[in-house]
Amino acid sequence: MTTLTLEVREATKRFGEGDAAVTAVRGVSLAVESGEVVLIMGPSGSGKTTLLSMMGALLKPTKGSIHLDGIDISALSEGRLPEIRLRKFGFVFQDFNLLSALSVLENVAIVAELAGLNGRAARNKATALLTDLGLGERLDFLPEKLSGGEKQRVAIARALINDPALILADEPTANLDSRIGHEIMRLLRRIAREQGRSVVIVSHDQRIRDIADRVLWLEDGAFRDSRSVGRQSMFRNPGDRENEMHETATTVVDPVCGMTVEPETAIVVVHAGAPYYFCEIACAETFSDGPERWLVRQDPDPLEHSH
Amino acid sequence: MSATWLLARRGLARNRVRLLVSVGGVALALSLTLALDAIYAGVANQLTTYIDRSGADVWVSQPGVRNLHMVASWLPDSVIGQVRAVDGVAEAAPILYSTDTITAGDESTVAYVIGTRADAPMGGPSEVVDGSGRVGPGEVIIDRGFARKAGVTLGDVVTVLGGEAVIVGLSEGTASLVNSVAFVSFDDFREMRAGAPVVSFVLVRTAEGASPDGVAAGIERLVAGVTAQSRATFAAGERRLVTDMSAEIISIMDVIGFVVGLAVVALTVYIATLARRREYGVLKALGARNRVLYRIVLAQAVLSVALGFIAGLAFTGLLAFLVARTDLNLELAITAASLVKVGLLAAVIAGLAAILPIRQVAELDPAIVFRRGVVT
Repeated sequence: MTTLTLEVREATKRFGEGDAAVTAVRGVSLAVESGEVVLIMGPSGSGKTTLLSMMGALLKPTKGSIHLDGIDISALSEGRLPEIRLRKFGFVFQDFNLLSALSVLENVAIVAELAGLNGRAARNKATALLTDLGLGERLDFLPEKLSGGEKQRVAIARALINDPALILADEPTANLDSRIGHEIMRLLRRIAREQGRSVVIVSHDQRIRDIADRVLWLEDGAFRDSRSVGRQSMFRNPGDRENEMHETATTVVDPVCGMTVEPETAIVVVHAGAPYYFCEIACAETFSDGPERWLVRQDPDPLEHSH
Repeated sequence: MSATWLLARRGLARNRVRLLVSVGGVALALSLTLALDAIYAGVANQLTTYIDRSGADVWVSQPGVRNLHMVASWLPDSVIGQVRAVDGVAEAAPILYSTDTITAGDESTVAYVIGTRADAPMGGPSEVVDGSGRVGPGEVIIDRGFARKAGVTLGDVVTVLGGEAVIVGLSEGTASLVNSVAFVSFDDFREMRAGAPVVSFVLVRTAEGASPDGVAAGIERLVAGVTAQSRATFAAGERRLVTDMSAEIISIMDVIGFVVGLAVVALTVYIATLARRREYGVLKALGARNRVLYRIVLAQAVLSVALGFIAGLAFTGLLAFLVARTDLNLELAITAASLVKVGLLAAVIAGLAAILPIRQVAELDPAIVFRRGVVT
């Protein structure tokens, strides 16, 4: 994997002509650095997916440009884009988009084969990756036999198989329940942290905002606000959370895994007279085993603790 | 297995009903052509069975006569001696030949009637399964299939060449879809034809080491007023007659088979591609080049057609097997030439059937992957 910077410069995307023209993205600029997790949020129809499509070289901006390591990929011919999509980007979709006729292993290996690996090498690489993601027992399963979380992990393995520097994820938790959604987000964050890959996530799921290094709010095709949520927010005392969680005053942060949870539905542990809220029992138990660890330490990666 | 073939194969196998329709349609279409080819090849084989098994290496006939079917050939008796004198001729035997109707009770059949001498070294029945292989005065050898159909057997009487003859032998390999071969005595045949001192053909067995074509050329050079051909050439002329007579019918069936096969494969591959449009979009989004996707579509068409071809061939083979076990004087002969022709036809079908789906894939927008839909 190479380090990479993706830069969107004043990108505009307009669909249709004349009176029927719709501008989905208006003059958006954005730079994504290596190892950074950027979350783009916004209401439906705000242009999130269009922006993600442009960043992934699936759509060309009507105006402006997209630069990958200094190369204007929006100016490249269609013939050169498949190679960039294949090697530079990894895509994760809301609907998983696994090939239904292929097994888990084949779904991942085939992308490596497209990149030029021979069949055996591709299968070996895919096997290692899937095993690493906890799917070693599911290699020969068809996608229809998998749970939503397993499908999304297969999709993530497929996104990683060619060692891309940038993962583009479109609503990766939308079809998953809360717990599985958290798992997937932790996985994406781990990939960014441990492997130095950039991850751009498009979502309207408020629960995952604390995973990101940066949260961008897209509305009517333009960024309205940009906040660096920062990992420091994940491990603050509960008392600080209400100030920290600006827009979502009704949510708090699980001090163990860093997930945003709603106090009304979260698991509560009282320590030193203060309530702490957790996404699931495993986090609560981990916290109870040594609360000081989670209150004092500022930079342990919560993923070292597995649910 | 390459990614292309894997996706093509799995894509087809995913919807078994569609695959069955596709393969069945192609099989049926190609079977039409294969079966018709086989029927005509079988008929041609049957028509030349007598020639092939006559024992003659060279056939000498009236000038310009190059086959048996629907011809008359008359040569003076004197030709026999002249032929025997040609270098390379080991033996020469005359036969009389005419096309006639043999009647037994209410049944009748068109037959090549051969007048042959009892002691002739060649020209008689090659396989007599019941009775005698030699015909004397007032006797006839007929095809066993016709005898069974007419309900006659050894000792019964049939009408042939305007007279009656007693059945003394039953032969096999002497019937086709259109006629059979019957053998009468040379003298009876000549008498029924008013005793003219003529023969129809002179059959020649060549000396050891002599080339039939060379001997035939020598006969034509040294004997005036004859056409001489090696057995292979004479039989080929007979087959060509069948081919010429059936060429238009076969061509029409080829076109029908082609159109039906093309329609079935094109439609099923198109529908299969349409149904997997999103998955093709996913592959495009993941970085697959168009040519990879084209290969998948083409591979699906090729697989469908190849399976259809195999099924069609198996079906035709089964048909040939079953027909051979009926009383029909019909042989289905699947020839290499027919396989090559139908194989090429199938290849063209596969190529053409893939055009529309390939265009469909070419125009596919990879951003389709972000449109919400139900995929696994």
